Amino acid sequence: MRKIKWLRHVVSQLLLCIVGLYVILPIWGIMRLAFDGSLYGRATEFRLFPKVWAFDSFLKVLDRPYQSVEFLVLLKNSLVVSIAAALMALILGGTLAYAFARFRFPGKKPGLFVLLLTAVLPPIAFATPLYIVLSLLQLRTTLLGLTIVYAVFALPFCIWNMRAGFQSVSRELEEAAFLDGAGPWMTFQKITLPLALPSVFVAGLIAFLMAYSEFAIGWLFVDQASTVTLAMSIYAMITSGSAQPWSMLGSLIIIMSIPVVTIFVLLQRTLFERMMFGSIKS
Amino acid sequence: MRKSRIIHILLICLAVLAVAGIAGFLRWHALTTLNVDYDEDDYLRAAQEFAQLIREGDWVGFMDTNYRPEHPPLAKIIYGLSILPAKEYPLIPDVSTTAQPNQNVPRPLLRNGRIISACFGVITAGILAIVNPLAGLMLAIHSFTIKYTSQVMLESLPALTSVLLVLCYTQWKKRKEQKKGLGWLIGSAIFLGLTAASKYIYCVIGLAVLADWMLDARSSSTYKKNILNILLWGLAAVAVFFLFDPYLWSDPINRLKESVLFHAAYSSSASEVQSAGYPFWQVFYWITSTPRFWQPNSMYFAIDPLITLMAIFGLSRVWKTRRVYVLWLIFAIVFLLLWPTKWPQYILILTVPLSLVAAEGCAVIVINPIRNLYYRLRHREKHLIVPVKSEIKKALPWLIPGLIIFFVFTILPLLFQLGVSTTDFNSVSIRDGLNGGITREVWKGLTGQVKAGYFSFPFRSTTVHYLGFNSYLPLISYLSQQEIFIFNILWTVFSVALQAALGIGVALLLWQRGLKFKRGWQTLFILPWAIPEMIGALMWMNVFQPVTGWLSLGVQQYGEGFPFSFLMGWENSWDGVLLILLISGVWYGFPFLMLAASAGLKMMPTEVYDAAEMDGANSWQIFKLITWPLLMPLIFPAIIVRSIFAFNQFYLFQTFGVWNGTLATLSYNFFNPSGFQINGQFSISAVINIITMILLIGFVVLLSRWGKADDGVTYA
Repeated sequence: MRKIKWLRHVVSQLLLCIVGLYVILPIWGIMRLAFDGSLYGRATEFRLFPKVWAFDSFLKVLDRPYQSVEFLVLLKNSLVVSIAAALMALILGGTLAYAFARFRFPGKKPGLFVLLLTAVLPPIAFATPLYIVLSLLQLRTTLLGLTIVYAVFALPFCIWNMRAGFQSVSRELEEAAFLDGAGPWMTFQKITLPLALPSVFVAGLIAFLMAYSEFAIGWLFVDQASTVTLAMSIYAMITSGSAQPWSMLGSLIIIMSIPVVTIFVLLQRTLFERMMFGSIKS
Repeated sequence: MRKSRIIHILLICLAVLAVAGIAGFLRWHALTTLNVDYDEDDYLRAAQEFAQLIREGDWVGFMDTNYRPEHPPLAKIIYGLSILPAKEYPLIPDVSTTAQPNQNVPRPLLRNGRIISACFGVITAGILAIVNPLAGLMLAIHSFTIKYTSQVMLESLPALTSVLLVLCYTQWKKRKEQKKGLGWLIGSAIFLGLTAASKYIYCVIGLAVLADWMLDARSSSTYKKNILNILLWGLAAVAVFFLFDPYLWSDPINRLKESVLFHAAYSSSASEVQSAGYPFWQVFYWITSTPRFWQPNSMYFAIDPLITLMAIFGLSRVWKTRRVYVLWLIFAIVFLLLWPTKWPQYILILTVPLSLVAAEGCAVIVINPIRNLYYRLRHREKHLIVPVKSEIKKALPWLIPGLIIFFVFTILPLLFQLGVSTTDFNSVSIRDGLNGGITREVWKGLTGQVKAGYFSFPFRSTTVHYLGFNSYLPLISYLSQQEIFIFNILWTVFSVALQAALGIGVALLLWQRGLKFKRGWQTLFILPWAIPEMIGALMWMNVFQPVTGWLSLGVQQYGEGFPFSFLMGWENSWDGVLLILLISGVWYGFPFLMLAASAGLKMMPTEVYDAAEMDGANSWQIFKLITWPLLMPLIFPAIIVRSIFAFNQFYLFQTFGVWNGTLATLSYNFFNPSGFQINGQFSISAVINIITMILLIGFVVLLSRWGKADDGVTYA
């Protein structure tokens, strides 16, 4: 294939510019809010750039963004819940994923079907019964309850993904370890798990991100300010209307998104492959 | 040989008679029970005027008589003939089109008109039965078709002539090779003219026939020869149209212009069209709904949605055997999507091909599997199951802990949900429910100790009651009448199609060799995917929010000249809401498909491209013949993943406050005990979730049956 001609190059760049504008436009709108020091509520005039450049709102948000809750508490809640949910999903789903990846047993095909189905159901379908089950267990409004909810959301997806990871480890390697006298658990621990670690890690990462950016369903499981997470505080800010400067909303959004965006940009290829349910063989 | 042919013909005759019998029976019941509908009184008045002319022998009067001149007179003249035997009545008063239908029209006139209409309806079904008996049956029981061919409407005559038009055309097509069948071609032109003289919108079928003809001409590269034929055919049709439209004889150009312009003005300004406020996809609602809701006593049953569902499975088969009918269906749907007036009777322009496609679909999904099963049962001995060595002993230690957890946290909640959906559990009865009320009621209900209660919305009782499956039907009809099913599916199709188009387009642009800033662009385009969905939705809300959004502020400040100011007021119509949601949803979703397409493009074999370029293929040919066929299977799994995601989309709709946009959003808002809408209806939410689950099970089953392309997704 020869190189493209200059005219085609210019046209291509122009088209890409249009798409680029489309991508940038809403992000720009939030940036402009975040850096504007002149806002008391919502924006009241059209501007492409902030009226008064200011960094105040970031500092305020980093102090206490939502009611009287400190930023650090929100961040702590978010991190505790997301990390715990991810670990829970990995540990609980790991052995099941391995069994589905390695062994033949009756009922495997229907099992896979159920697994796939639970992975494609909307989270709300699990949230509503969990609301009642966790209420019964008196866990509904605790951080542990929230963790369980997010772990359940992530569980089918994690199982599905780890299964793909375990499958990609060659059977011969395991059999060799077996012949050398290693038991099944030892083989898993010393051979399969380390080799499949990248995909296990990525499954966990996606579970983490899911929990980190979820707000609406978690909102059902919260009734006091001390268990609110970062994402929920953004939701609370919108529903509270224009009580506070929207520059704070903008800066909180930016602060919250930065880690997620960084992870996605750095690991784009791997994350993408995982989200395809492991259907693209690299 | 000859004997079997006779039997064949006899069977077809029998089938046609049976279909006509059923069609006639159902239409007779409908025409004797249906109330007078909008327009019936108008067309009866027109019929009276024509009957008057005939009685007086005033043949010249035909040239200046056409009550409601926006529609050509042929069907009205036929109604005039039909009421001749009846007694004379004073003219039905002339009222505006917005007036309620006049229920006091003279009964004998109404009956005669309706009987003629029903006769055409029965003949249409019978003729379709010649093509395919099952299709004829489908048309005979299609409730919208029954309704509008049992009333004094303009639909039944053009519906009949258009099916004859297509029938003649296909007969000619069969004999074309032997240079025979010119008569059939002339017949089709005549029927096209008659169709046009009955109701203009049925001319779409003529366009479909034309398209089929052109496709044939293209594949045999005989454009020149065919163009002349097509021109003659069209001229013949126009001549017949003029012949049967006496109203045009004295002043053809102006009167034709007048009636056509009327439709343009009517659709954009008539108060009844405006107040109906139908979204552009209303046709999809009509074909998945039934008119039985309006007057249950007029129809014994209505299975229109089922017919439409079966039609989906028959499309590809009919395309191979009888392409013109699929073209008919496609042209009609596209026309109804674009045409601004959306009355339900318009769908009669497509119920004929819909029935045919549904009949083939029925063969694909019902008859064939049964036949296969029968075959397999008969030849069971030959297919011995090869025993697979089970490793259950080895697998058990790994399975048990995971299974317990999976069962407790995933399966059990879903079963629990099924239980809740059979009760009236809500936020008021939460105390009782949590203290074992749900299991108590479900147990009692299942063991027959209590009778299932009735569905009365909203649920506000303080104790839980068993309802059985009594909330399912009301809810399904609510979901379909509020157009939530349709919207949810349309949303999935549109958003994924646009995402795929943009994503593949961008990937192709970035794939060009020697393009500058490749990595920079790619990183920029990934951003929407990296930003959490809720945040992305908020960002777009900041742009589009009424009054305080960027766009509104800009329009307030700079007036109508502000870019994209036409999007203002989107919150007032479903079309606008869909457009804004699409802008935001595509923004969020296209990067994923761009990544999929980029990954696929990396695997393209460069040698093939070099060879193609050496042979002088242009860019479009290369794309169409090489890139697209190779790329499609690679991005198909990504499209499936996105479709499931779009079907379940929640955060976008929640942020934009479109709480009835998708099933997931609706379920959330029915559930949320502290929401603003009807809240705390736990059991309603459970019913919606169960329905969603059934739909998704259907989808996953279909996927796993679709063969190779999806192997990646299902059993990766």
